[in-house]
Amino acid sequence: MATLESTEKPVSRKNYNLLFSLTLVGLLVALCAILSIATNTFATGNNIANLLRQGSMIAVLSIGQTFVIITAGIDLSVGAVVGFATVIIASLLQAGFPVWLAIIATLLVGLAIGVFHGFGIVKMGLPPFIITLATLTSLRGIGLLMTNGATINITHQGLAQFARDSFLGIPNLFWMVVVVAAPAYLLLEHTKWGRYLFAVGSNPEAARLSGVNVSKLIYLAYCVSAVSAAFVGVLLSARLGVGNATQGDGWELQAIASSVIGGTSLFGAVGSVQGPLIGAFILATINNGANLLNVNSFWQRIITGLLIIAIVYFDQLRRRGK
Amino acid sequence: MTTETLASTVSAVPILDLRDVEKQYGPVRALKPLTLSFMPGEVHAIVGENGAGKSTLIKVLTGVVKKTSGTMFWRGTEVSLENPADAIAIGINAVHQEVVLCPHLTVAANIFLGDEVLKGGLLRKKEMITRAQAILNDIGFDIPADVQLGSLTIGQQQLVATARASVRGTKFLIFDEPTAYLTRQEADQLFKLIRRLKADGVTIVYISHRMEEVFELADRVSVLRDGNFVGTRNIDETNNAELVTLMINRSLEQIYHKEKVAFGSEVLSTRALTGTGFADIDLTVRQGEIVGLYGLIGAGRSEFALSLFGRNPSTSGEIKWHGKPIAIRDVRTAIDLGIALAPESRRDQGLNLNLPISLNINLPVYDTLQRGLTLNHRGEIDRAEKQIRDLAIKTPSRRSLASSLSGGNQQKIVIGKWLNHGAELFIFDEPTVGVDVGTKAEIYRLFGALLKRGAAIIVISSYLPEVYELADTLHVFRSGKQVGTHTYREKTEEEILALAIGV
Repeated sequence: MATLESTEKPVSRKNYNLLFSLTLVGLLVALCAILSIATNTFATGNNIANLLRQGSMIAVLSIGQTFVIITAGIDLSVGAVVGFATVIIASLLQAGFPVWLAIIATLLVGLAIGVFHGFGIVKMGLPPFIITLATLTSLRGIGLLMTNGATINITHQGLAQFARDSFLGIPNLFWMVVVVAAPAYLLLEHTKWGRYLFAVGSNPEAARLSGVNVSKLIYLAYCVSAVSAAFVGVLLSARLGVGNATQGDGWELQAIASSVIGGTSLFGAVGSVQGPLIGAFILATINNGANLLNVNSFWQRIITGLLIIAIVYFDQLRRRGK
Repeated sequence: MTTETLASTVSAVPILDLRDVEKQYGPVRALKPLTLSFMPGEVHAIVGENGAGKSTLIKVLTGVVKKTSGTMFWRGTEVSLENPADAIAIGINAVHQEVVLCPHLTVAANIFLGDEVLKGGLLRKKEMITRAQAILNDIGFDIPADVQLGSLTIGQQQLVATARASVRGTKFLIFDEPTAYLTRQEADQLFKLIRRLKADGVTIVYISHRMEEVFELADRVSVLRDGNFVGTRNIDETNNAELVTLMINRSLEQIYHKEKVAFGSEVLSTRALTGTGFADIDLTVRQGEIVGLYGLIGAGRSEFALSLFGRNPSTSGEIKWHGKPIAIRDVRTAIDLGIALAPESRRDQGLNLNLPISLNINLPVYDTLQRGLTLNHRGEIDRAEKQIRDLAIKTPSRRSLASSLSGGNQQKIVIGKWLNHGAELFIFDEPTVGVDVGTKAEIYRLFGALLKRGAAIIVISSYLPEVYELADTLHVFRSGKQVGTHTYREKTEEEILALAIGV
């Protein structure tokens, strides 16, 4: 590969990420501009607030998912964790626990699920795809058993109010994205653990021989993902006022799609926090716009699929350089 | 080859004729106008440092990249190689350093991959195994055709790749560092095959850093330097020293640079150390000393090193660190003690290839760069820049991916990440495989600098001249056992080799 060293432009990951993020932002802005012209309902305060609320859930999920994908893993369970978390928090509130305690307990359940994934991968040697697929189906089952298939209503008014309210004109739910994204960004870009996550995703043996505790990092990634998903469960229960184990169906795929659209490589070691966020809101805007334009919702799914293919294809072309 | 036959081949029509072939990547001229002829049935060696343009030449010849200008004639007719299929179609094939076959399929299935024996659309597995076995037996490879490829050693897999390339009507076969992972016996089998192909009229292009192989096999040798064609010599009209001078423009004595340093106190010793792949190893390494471990691949040297480094802890025996017994249960313990390991395989163990150089260099030291909640980015940048400067790593930026570097520069990262880390014992496992002569010399000088700082060094190598010239104490390994311990030049190279092979 003697020739490459002198011929390739400095493949700067930072600059590249920035460029890619800007392209994505450009796409998002273009989408918004087109929808503002094509409809008179898109550029209204109500609709934008609604779009931000819709996109927030998947955005938080995609951040957690990205941590896992950077280690060259996958977390298929996040949709099920969301549904399960709504059941947990709804049951706890119904049993009379204070809101703060119910939220903490729900997040701890998420943490336990993450630890279990880490255990399955590190100690039992199961592929991430398998262990998280197993939790996907089991958690739905456990949630349905706990509720006997019924929906638990949440009567707590404060929680519902929180989901409806805004702060500085921006919906609270969107602020929750910031609450998750800011520390996630710090962790990934500004700590040694962030560097280790990339190293583990790139070559676990080289990381191990450099003194990195690879097992610990795997636990970390799956815990971030599962706790993020449990947090989304809390947000969803606040927004809809119910706990039901079947909620969040297929959200794992939307989270993975957002992450991949945002430039994360399924082979590991490539990814950021900002990319998946933009990816999630691109998907939300498309769905929102399609609704406003009265496009058949079946078409939305097809458009999303084509978009994933197009964006990832162009991303790979550019990564290859020419 | 005798002079007469050589003269007759030279007068014949070249099988492949390059005229002013040039390759540019953007503004960079990786291969400057090159005029070179390959004769039918000759073994033509190509030598040069990493970055000299050998890889580019192979890529042009095999259709992986298109030449920028110039013309190529195949048996007198002009050809244009647009893609690898074009090259294969006219009979040009290559065997690469790293095996690119399917480890989960049988040897026979790999040999017939893409060219399966069918009957009514179904595979004729038995027939393929029989035929593959006949081929292997015929060319003298002692390899069963019905086992999974992955169950063979890397060297045997390499031989299978060679067998595969040699049975497909190949007229022109390129070997790129084929012996890097071969044992001596395997290399002999390979050489036998090369001579046989040559006798059948196949042209062999042989690329290697190992001069003795070039002299053993080649009829002619061409030298490249910095993308320039320097010259072609008949093998019996040149010698090692001349080739090395052509390649690097400096003399051979400067390469095996050995620093004379007075030994200090004992750093590490083992007594009857036993683990997976090795047993009863006794050795001592002192400050200022290079201890060499020589043996064929699979002799247990790397396994021993990995156990000292805590990767595969030993099962019995004793390790002493500065005279005190110690248990090294994991890599972290070894690093904290002050042991550094530059592992055998850059690709599998040494590097995070798709990550920046900076991250690779800093990976072992991020613990010291973490300041409370965040990372000391200034420190991270400074360390990376310092290593790039000190080791003269050729790269446009510390942010470039490790995969974008040449082999020699990659090896500098593998080594550089452990420098300035306070390590007292450095273990270098095959530090110069696939590394050019210039970088080799730099690495050996670095050893000297480490010794002067009071470090102790263990060097593991399958390349005898390296450990023979460098090591103060040389331990010979065979089949996981320590079969000899000798001081510098106490035995001849032949005696050491015989010990390692067990004849």
